[in-house]
Amino acid sequence: MRSLETVELTKSFGGVTAVDAATVAFQDGKVNALIGPNGSGKTTFFNCVTGMIRPDSGRASYRGQDITGKAPHRITRAGIGRSFQLCRVFPRMTVLDNLLVAVRAGGLKAQLTSARDRAEIARARGWLERMGIDHLERAEARNLSWGQQKLLELAGVMMGDPETILLDEPAGGVNPALLERIAGLVRQLNQEGRTFVIVEHNMDLVMGLSDHIVVFDRGRPIAEGPPSAIKSDPRVLEAYLGV
Amino acid sequence: MPSGSEATRRAGGVLRLAALLAGAGLLLSFPALAPNPYILSAGITVLNYAVLSTAWSLVGGFTGYISLGHGALLGLGAYGTGLLITKAGLPSFVALAAAAAIVALLAVPVGFAALRVRGASFVIVSIALVLILLLVFQSWASFTGGSRGLVVPRPFPDLTRPEHHRVFFFLFAGLLAAALATWWAIDRSRFGLGLRAIREDEDKAQALGTPTFAFKLAVFVVSAAFTALGGGLYALWFGDLDPVFQFSVLTGAYMVLMALLGGVRHLFGPLLGALIVGWALEWFKLQYGDTPLHLVATGLLLGVVVMFMPDGVIPALSGLLARFRPGEASIREVTAAELPASQARGPRA
Ligand SMILES: Nc1ncnc2c1ncn2[C@@H]1O[C@H](COP(=O)(O)OP(=O)(O)O)[C@@H](O)[C@H]1O
Ligand SMILES: [Mg+2]
Repeated sequence: MRSLETVELTKSFGGVTAVDAATVAFQDGKVNALIGPNGSGKTTFFNCVTGMIRPDSGRASYRGQDITGKAPHRITRAGIGRSFQLCRVFPRMTVLDNLLVAVRAGGLKAQLTSARDRAEIARARGWLERMGIDHLERAEARNLSWGQQKLLELAGVMMGDPETILLDEPAGGVNPALLERIAGLVRQLNQEGRTFVIVEHNMDLVMGLSDHIVVFDRGRPIAEGPPSAIKSDPRVLEAYLGV
Repeated sequence: MPSGSEATRRAGGVLRLAALLAGAGLLLSFPALAPNPYILSAGITVLNYAVLSTAWSLVGGFTGYISLGHGALLGLGAYGTGLLITKAGLPSFVALAAAAAIVALLAVPVGFAALRVRGASFVIVSIALVLILLLVFQSWASFTGGSRGLVVPRPFPDLTRPEHHRVFFFLFAGLLAAALATWWAIDRSRFGLGLRAIREDEDKAQALGTPTFAFKLAVFVVSAAFTALGGGLYALWFGDLDPVFQFSVLTGAYMVLMALLGGVRHLFGPLLGALIVGWALEWFKLQYGDTPLHLVATGLLLGVVVMFMPDGVIPALSGLLARFRPGEASIREVTAAELPASQARGPRA
């Protein structure tokens, strides 16, 4: 099946063209990586395809369905979840409530029922256990360490049961042990059928984890392929690895 | 879950219910205890403030959108009620309900425009709304009575003055109960959790699938309806409206102050704030007459609250109490020690 795709997607901020007519297709069921130097437009690309920013021109689609300019919550409900580059959680809410926010409930009646639904709490606990932070369920999110907040953010994204998950620098600022755990989680979740698109600077992680890599430079893809090909692509070496 | 904590929770619940009943009893016996009609009418004013600050906190508290424009909704509710009685000949309480419904309807386009901007821009848009309406109601004198005011006929012309006050005390108490019940119902719902998520991080809430704009608009409409009911009931009680007092940025500022002072994270926070600020205002008026002094006091108090008690007096006081209890290690300290172990291989392994 077709996954997340863009055609000539463009977004400028003043004089800076952050994403420049980017035409990209990610592979369904795979771990995709989106790499590129700082400022090459990776985060802006994520923001455009998740509806956080409206692109100036071009189109984005998911599983063949047009999602250009749709509201973020609609795109989330279409099955795309995302994390933020600077990990974002609800600081004054408990860990459990952080997850319950992501419960999908349609209709007025569902919205007016208790947020603390037993079945949803059980599901949330399942994700917290998987992330290894279930003992923190009642803690306020702001009291968690950075690494725990990263895991909490991931648990929150998973609570929405996304088929495709965009992670913006999941390894940013985390220690090697946690990095290993996050990589393990991504691998497992992918084996369970979820698609990933990961923006990451840690090359060991990217090369070890991904099936398909797209390389960005100045807002557009300059190369794509499996890790083995990307590693030796001269354009990539020049633009990104600075060799 | 250990049964000990379950028992403590149940005991806490019983305690809270007892406190609630005692509070309600005290409130309802106030008219009987009030020594004179002046004190009784001051009590009504405070109740009216409590309705307004609770209504305000539905938007300002849950979503963090600080509206200084609720004075406009209040004024529309008051004038709507008065005009529907005097110009359309509706019975008093039908006019009140109709005015609230109209204001709720009007809140849709207003919210549509205002809730698109965040932070300081929203505050300014909300102030602009009040000033525009003030101008309209002042200059359209043929319809609104302008600055000469609008006299609203009493709903119960046969009652004596003290009886009139007594009836309205209970009407305001009923409206307050409805506003509090609404706050409570929203707070425990998914809708309420979504609203609190908006307060914490609107983009993140949206990314997790919350239809943030629809949520903000919905709660704004509910808040507007209660604010209009507060204004309309005031019109029926007081019987005389003046645009300067009805469409006032100051009223909006009072609502903000009361809600923030009492604390918007707690059901009874805005009510508590209204009790404190409302009585203080009445006391100031009694002591010093209508001077700008209460303006200065309001401004100062607002500054102190925002800077030193961002969560209001309830958490500030319970924080103070907690200092006298045996300490408990903060979560961060515990987890810092736990982290390496849990990273090595899940905490349960
Ligand atoms: N909100 C914004 N306003 C102005 N410029 C922005 C904004 N977001 C990103 N940019 C600019 O767009 C370019 C791409 O940034 P970004 O997408 O964050 O890159 P990356 O995530 O690849 O590091 C940069 O030059 C950055 O300064
Ligand atoms: Mg980035």
